[in-house]
Amino acid sequence: MLDARKSQVITAGDARAIVCDRPSVAGSVTQRACTFCGSRVVLYPIGDALHLVHGPVGCAAYTWDIRGALSSGMQLHRNSFNTDIRENEVIFGGEKKLARALRELIPIHKPKAAFVYATCLTGVIGDDVEAVCRGATAEFGIPVIPVQSEGFRGTKKHGYSAACAALAQLIDSGDTTGIGPFSVNILGDFNIAGEIWTIKSYLQRMGLEVVASMTGDGRVDDIRRAHGAKLNIVQCAGSMTSLAKMMQEKYGIPYVQVSFFGLEDCASALYEVAKHFADLAMLERTRALVREETAAVLPEMARLRKDLEGKVAALYVGGAFKAFSLVKALRQLGMRVAMAGTQTGAQQDYEHLKELCDADTILADDSNPLEMAAWLAARDVDLFIGGVKERPVAYKLGIGFCDHNHERKIGLAGFVGMAAFAREVHATVTSPIWKLVPRRQRPGCSNTEGTP
Amino acid sequence: MRKIAIYGKGGIGKSTTTQNTVAGLAEMGKQVMVVGCDPKADSTRLLLGGLAQKTVLDTLRDEGEDVELDEVLKPGFCKTRCVESGGPEPGVGCAGRGIITSINMLEQLGAYDADKQLDYTFYDVLGDVVCGGFAMPIRDGKAEEIYIVVSGEMMAMYAANNICKGIVKFAETGKVRLGGLICNSRKCDNERELIEALAARLGTQMIHFVPRDNVVQHAELNRKTVIEYAPTAKQADEYRTLAKKIDQNQMFVVPKPLNMEELESLLVKYGLAA
Repeated sequence: MLDARKSQVITAGDARAIVCDRPSVAGSVTQRACTFCGSRVVLYPIGDALHLVHGPVGCAAYTWDIRGALSSGMQLHRNSFNTDIRENEVIFGGEKKLARALRELIPIHKPKAAFVYATCLTGVIGDDVEAVCRGATAEFGIPVIPVQSEGFRGTKKHGYSAACAALAQLIDSGDTTGIGPFSVNILGDFNIAGEIWTIKSYLQRMGLEVVASMTGDGRVDDIRRAHGAKLNIVQCAGSMTSLAKMMQEKYGIPYVQVSFFGLEDCASALYEVAKHFADLAMLERTRALVREETAAVLPEMARLRKDLEGKVAALYVGGAFKAFSLVKALRQLGMRVAMAGTQTGAQQDYEHLKELCDADTILADDSNPLEMAAWLAARDVDLFIGGVKERPVAYKLGIGFCDHNHERKIGLAGFVGMAAFAREVHATVTSPIWKLVPRRQRPGCSNTEGTP
Repeated sequence: MRKIAIYGKGGIGKSTTTQNTVAGLAEMGKQVMVVGCDPKADSTRLLLGGLAQKTVLDTLRDEGEDVELDEVLKPGFCKTRCVESGGPEPGVGCAGRGIITSINMLEQLGAYDADKQLDYTFYDVLGDVVCGGFAMPIRDGKAEEIYIVVSGEMMAMYAANNICKGIVKFAETGKVRLGGLICNSRKCDNERELIEALAARLGTQMIHFVPRDNVVQHAELNRKTVIEYAPTAKQADEYRTLAKKIDQNQMFVVPKPLNMEELESLLVKYGLAA
């Protein structure tokens, strides 16, 4: 491990606090993405908006349909439109090409709004993206919103903020007439594998109206009237808390931070929402819902747990709220967590993780493949949970892997999602293939190197 | 072939000095190419008798990669060869990147090849070394001699000192050296002594003191160098002398830039105190 990284890794039993919330250490191949990518993953699920990447084609290609966010209608977001900035535009400026691209795309696709993402290159040459967007807004009568997501501006978290700032430009531009007192927005769910539909169905059964979902299966017109909702439910704390805070300040809308992953967290999320509205009938409906949904999945989970008891997992995720949920969900399946890491966790998040985890659980902030590979091998884990960039770390070591990020194809949120998660974990951990991998063939290949 | 870049504060007279010097060298029978590195593309106007040039970057933009050297290299006064790099409109794009692209293009097209039998290439660069692109002409393998056009005015001297800092950076890793300061007189007090003192402090020389003469203005209005417009004028001889001094120059140094206090005390000593 790099010396400069040592303060960012602790065990849950450590007295010292972790160092986090800082730029990645040079030389450490961070699992984080760039500022632009941060903005892109947050905004992209809005299905009826045009998403135009103003920069070289690589920026657009490598973030094309990046998290498989599903849409119940228009799927414009799944295109990766790009101004294809090259040498000529670098020299002569890319503004004209950007204006041309908007002029070409908007009449063809008739989006409800357009987001124009600034990238490193167009930032360096000083293209006035805001001015072009203002012009296009006037010309086409739809909001054309610049996203200040130049990659060099900071970390992925800065990209989240830039995305929230862009959303803030949309909010409060629509009519809120007809929005009832029992109304919410969902912030920070991106409808991967249709998860927001599961969550929405729960909320609706509780008697709640979902005004806008940001941004999973999101629609521009819904977001424009989001300021009419009475509560914001924030799931992905890392990406959307700043927007929730802004909406609280500006429109007086309170927010709750929840997670819909795992039986325990999903139930307490729904109860917290119900409690906020202080409506006895709603609380009763919520109780019934939780009872019914839990009962439906518990028998299967109990059966799966028998095979999973005592198995060891490691996880590395983007935001800390998912880490909390996963630690709890794995425990419910009888599994221990050897390592839990996040890309963007804050100090208080890691303090909470300390409470949740075993004393010897490694907690790592902004880790890298080499560190993680060493820990996975040293702790001889049966399962690694992460995203697309963690997958090869697991497979190279011959360790089972579950995607709990952009690539998942089966919804893992909600009560049904927990059952699906249990099935996925079970199928992975109990697969006979792991008996045949090299690390199980060579005696003594499990070592202790890399234990902090 | 000697490759020379001319730097100096904006408006100091780089283009005028460069073209008149080049005319002097051309008169001596030297084969000279001038590469204008200013987006305004006015570095070869006096040699060509007007802005007759399509720039490298305009050509590249309009015709793609299949540019022929003849399209961008125009013959000027006394068989000089004139190229304008060109660049974006004011306020957009990246002029620095334009210079990088343009010089790479000229290399690809063989503008510097031995068969061109050039004695000199002059780069006339816009203003200060504001960013990496404007330093392109002094990167390794490009210009190896720098002359800085300066006057006794304070801001011109600040700029000259700043350019020296740029030269030091590139001299550490490459062959670029400072050949001297060219004083383009603004008729300031003690101007000759001041610039000679500045040159000494920088570790270089004032290679020539070009006096101020209205004939330069007249020649410019006629889109000509002084050497072409008024070959017998005293000012024409000044430029011929400068050309000869550059041709015979042996003094190439890594400059020692001054700090602000040193520079200001120099000004007080020679300028204000006079």
